[in-house]
Amino acid sequence: MNIENLQQLTQFQIDEQPHIVVNKEICKTCDHRACVLSCPANCYTWDEATKLLSIVYETCLECGTCYVICDKGALDWSYPRGGYGVCFRLT
Amino acid sequence: MAKYCDVIIVGAGPAGSLAALKLARAGLNVCLVERGRYPGAKNMFGGLLHNTPVLNELLPDFYQRAPLERHVYKKVLAFMTPESAVSLTFENERFEQPPYNGYTVFRPAFDNWLANEAVKEGALLLTDCTAEDLLRKDGRVAGVTVKGREGKLRGNIVIAADGVLSFMAEKAGLRKNFKAKSMGVGIKLLLGLPEETINERFHLVRDEGADISFVGMTGGMRGGGFLYTNRESLSVGMVVHLDSLKSSGKAPYDVMDELLQHPQVRKLVKGAVPLEYSAHLIPEGGIKTMPQIYTDGMMVVGDAAGLCYTNGINLEGINLAMTSGVLAAETAIKAMEAGDYSARSLSLYKKQLDESFIIKDMKTFKNAVGMMHQERIFRTYPRVLADVMDKLYRVDGVPRSKLLRLARREALKEVGLKGLVADGIKIGRALL
Repeated sequence: MNIENLQQLTQFQIDEQPHIVVNKEICKTCDHRACVLSCPANCYTWDEATKLLSIVYETCLECGTCYVICDKGALDWSYPRGGYGVCFRLT
Repeated sequence: MAKYCDVIIVGAGPAGSLAALKLARAGLNVCLVERGRYPGAKNMFGGLLHNTPVLNELLPDFYQRAPLERHVYKKVLAFMTPESAVSLTFENERFEQPPYNGYTVFRPAFDNWLANEAVKEGALLLTDCTAEDLLRKDGRVAGVTVKGREGKLRGNIVIAADGVLSFMAEKAGLRKNFKAKSMGVGIKLLLGLPEETINERFHLVRDEGADISFVGMTGGMRGGGFLYTNRESLSVGMVVHLDSLKSSGKAPYDVMDELLQHPQVRKLVKGAVPLEYSAHLIPEGGIKTMPQIYTDGMMVVGDAAGLCYTNGINLEGINLAMTSGVLAAETAIKAMEAGDYSARSLSLYKKQLDESFIIKDMKTFKNAVGMMHQERIFRTYPRVLADVMDKLYRVDGVPRSKLLRLARREALKEVGLKGLVADGIKIGRALL
């Protein structure tokens, strides 16, 4: 399972409005940034050079891992608007 | 969009749809709100639909009509180390007759089918609607606002079947924060393989299916792996505790790859083509972390109510969900008859749930939650077992020990006497 292939495997109906917004200031001071490794869809990236946490919400599987794992209150997290987001066909 | 109905159900998963079916059949005006483009679009699980008496009662011919993959005939429990596997296989001819003990299913197919059974009975299904907030009237819950298709849905009773992250229950003040220590996350890769290959590889005929649980290949994390056979595909994945994942410093898909690369698993999945990847949280906190499940004008069912239990051998949720949905629907029917939607009236749901197998099973295995948080179960004991088996079978000219002495020596080497006693008590209290 190469996580880079996620977009070829699973279907997404991408909304222009992100359903997850990270507070980059809080993330700068986070002592674990567990979201980066724990996210099953590899949506989070930490850039050591710029000290910025970024998220690619477009391939979010809406599993909820980051929302529960983040204990700093850095995530503004909601389900995508109806009809948008991940769209499982089989699974 | 503005609508008024007797009962609004948030989430067209198995709990919500079966509740809708029950209510619609009783002649109630019921609205089923689903955020996916179709029911099941947002739903995933490992793969096993357990035998559920309320489903058999409400739809006696469901097993002939529902989109099922295979019925589970073969159960395998495998303790793994990176180079070995010690397996226990149970095959049972009594699992060969309907009602079957369980079926592998695809949730987008099954959930869609079940929601449409509710529609056939008269329920109104609104897809593309994410419930955003609760509407209140005279201090009680009296509807929801939705986004996607924008609108307000008002009704007498709201049934929250919105899944493990139940924002509806949270907004109603029925639950506290979601905690990593009471959650698991499941990830799964669906692998396509020809039907004949699956039958040969897993020794199955016709619609027979296999359910394999793996203990010990979760990168040191608390959890387990699974493999289910579908008709022309395999569902392979794992479930790990969220707090364990958080502290592991590992990515879940990398750990799943290690499982897929395991010498025994590799042979099972050889040549298979990846078809879909999915992930979801599981409420694994047991009965102690259940939210309140009713308030004025609202009831909470299924994963949203934390109805799930695991004891290391069974992992049940979908059957508890559907049963709770039907119990909530029965309470809603009585509340409608009486015209009383107060918490006192809806407390009947809690009473029925307490008397059902759901809460009884969750109580029976309440100590299993603690046992499942014991790292050694997943890290050490599979290795002890593998070492014992290795010494048992290895022929190398070294004098043998008697069996009990061999097992004791291997276990003491890894765990120590104190650890063994502590684990023995923990496992005993959880399962025996």
